[in-house]
Amino acid sequence: MSNNKKVNIFLLIIAVVLFIFLPRFLSGYMVRVITTIFMYAVIAQGMNIMSGYMGYLPFGNAMFFGIGAYVTAIGMSKGLPFLVVVPLAAITAILFSILLGLPVLRLRGHYFAIATIGMSAAILSVVKNATEITGGAMGTTLPIIDKDPSIVYNYFYLAMFGLMVITTLSLYFIIKSRFGFGIRSIKANEEAAISMGINTTYHKVVAWAISALFTSIAGALYAYWMSFIAPDEVFDVMIAVNTVVIMLIGGAGSILGPIIGAFIIELFAEVAWSAFLEYHLAALGIIIIIIVFFVPKGVSGTIADFIKRKKIRARKRVSI
Amino acid sequence: MKDNSLLKISHLDVGYGAIQVLWDVNLELKEKEVVCVIGANGAGKSTLLKNIVGIIPSSKGEIFYSGNNITKMASPERIKMGLGFAPEGRHLFFGLTVEDNLLMGAFQRKYDKRVKEDLDLVYSLFKVLKGYRKKLAGNLSGGEQQMCAIGRALMSHPTLLIIDELSLGLAPVIVDDLIEIIDQLRKERGISILLVEQDVKVALDIADRGYVLEAGVVSIHDTTDKLAKNEHIKTAYLGI
Repeated sequence: MSNNKKVNIFLLIIAVVLFIFLPRFLSGYMVRVITTIFMYAVIAQGMNIMSGYMGYLPFGNAMFFGIGAYVTAIGMSKGLPFLVVVPLAAITAILFSILLGLPVLRLRGHYFAIATIGMSAAILSVVKNATEITGGAMGTTLPIIDKDPSIVYNYFYLAMFGLMVITTLSLYFIIKSRFGFGIRSIKANEEAAISMGINTTYHKVVAWAISALFTSIAGALYAYWMSFIAPDEVFDVMIAVNTVVIMLIGGAGSILGPIIGAFIIELFAEVAWSAFLEYHLAALGIIIIIIVFFVPKGVSGTIADFIKRKKIRARKRVSI
Repeated sequence: MKDNSLLKISHLDVGYGAIQVLWDVNLELKEKEVVCVIGANGAGKSTLLKNIVGIIPSSKGEIFYSGNNITKMASPERIKMGLGFAPEGRHLFFGLTVEDNLLMGAFQRKYDKRVKEDLDLVYSLFKVLKGYRKKLAGNLSGGEQQMCAIGRALMSHPTLLIIDELSLGLAPVIVDDLIEIIDQLRKERGISILLVEQDVKVALDIADRGYVLEAGVVSIHDTTDKLAKNEHIKTAYLGI
């Protein structure tokens, strides 16, 4: 078992090194596509801790992405450096998640999902109408890094990749911790969790704050990367929809699931774009339906099942 | 207040929003005592237990636990003080293994040697569970699930074990086993037990004293010996 673990860690380190050097062999366009994949993987991890591990679907999580992006844009337009603005963006998102979470996390199931969509929409309209601060519906610009575009894209590729690795590692350690045990118990049976004396409110609010932290930093990086953001774009509900699909296909409640899902969906979306320019959303939709029907546990869950079945079969053969 | 009373509830009103369920309930439980609450469906038995554990707030009245007023405490603090709760319908964590389920019960405690001792105690009480340690709790039979739920409640190292519906949906043989274990817990561990039980015969058999809840009001309370002879109980609950 521990030998197996060593092999896994070794493989993961090789994968990390490969990804660091990958941009040298790819076109600028592909580098941007993969950066987007990393970004979606980060947002999907934020969704994963809430939904995959705790059983609460935060459909309005795009609001933290938007908050992260807008705090970054406003801060940088005031002349603050990026590395100062990112913590500010994260803190703002966390504060929002706590303030909104305390009342809303009393709701369960679909009601919670719908309430978060409502909040996301409310923040969107505030951002749209506070023209003096946010630039309104027209969007706002950020300073552009004065370097060769390919270097800049590389920089964001590595930053987003680093963020994804850090996010995934943190999630891994959170889930293994006592706190992770607590949030998993909420998914398994919230009534029982309360009966066991687990402070469910605390666990839920902190989990959402962590989710907001991941998502808002992704938003901050996105804003700096694009150097132009508009409210309808960064508060788009489709961000959350995409992320939910990514999480489900990769495997909700698994550490690597969201990353696998992000690669599958985004790469497929690329193919769909080029092959069916007019119908690409329809093609994407059909593929999603097929996957949900035939791979309901997500790719990582199905692979895990396959390995388990193989082991059981091997054991049976031995016993016969 | 008498010294040896472990739990004392006075003038308790509990409800859900506008609907009041319990009216002016008084209940007392002494150390090392087994007390049962019996009553028809919807009488408020589960509501009473949930309020004692702190899951549902009360609108009036006070609860004292070993001399401390716990009326305003939230459920995590109450569990820490020594309450253990096995909820109705077991409410196990189906996706977790039996052992993880049991350890969940010790969530409030530091995972140290004493937790390990309690785990061994639970396995010695419920020998079936030991064999199923690594099995998912969702795959257990009804009786095994009930054992797991009681075991989980014991993992918080309670001085008062609260069980909601001990025998519901279980085979008579298993109920006999559980009755024996409850007796053992009281005699060997000195744990007091408060239980809700729909099978009045079983309830009167295990408990020292009983409270009868009727439409949210305690109508009779007495020793179980006297309750068994009570005409009203005989006709209404025992069908004699």
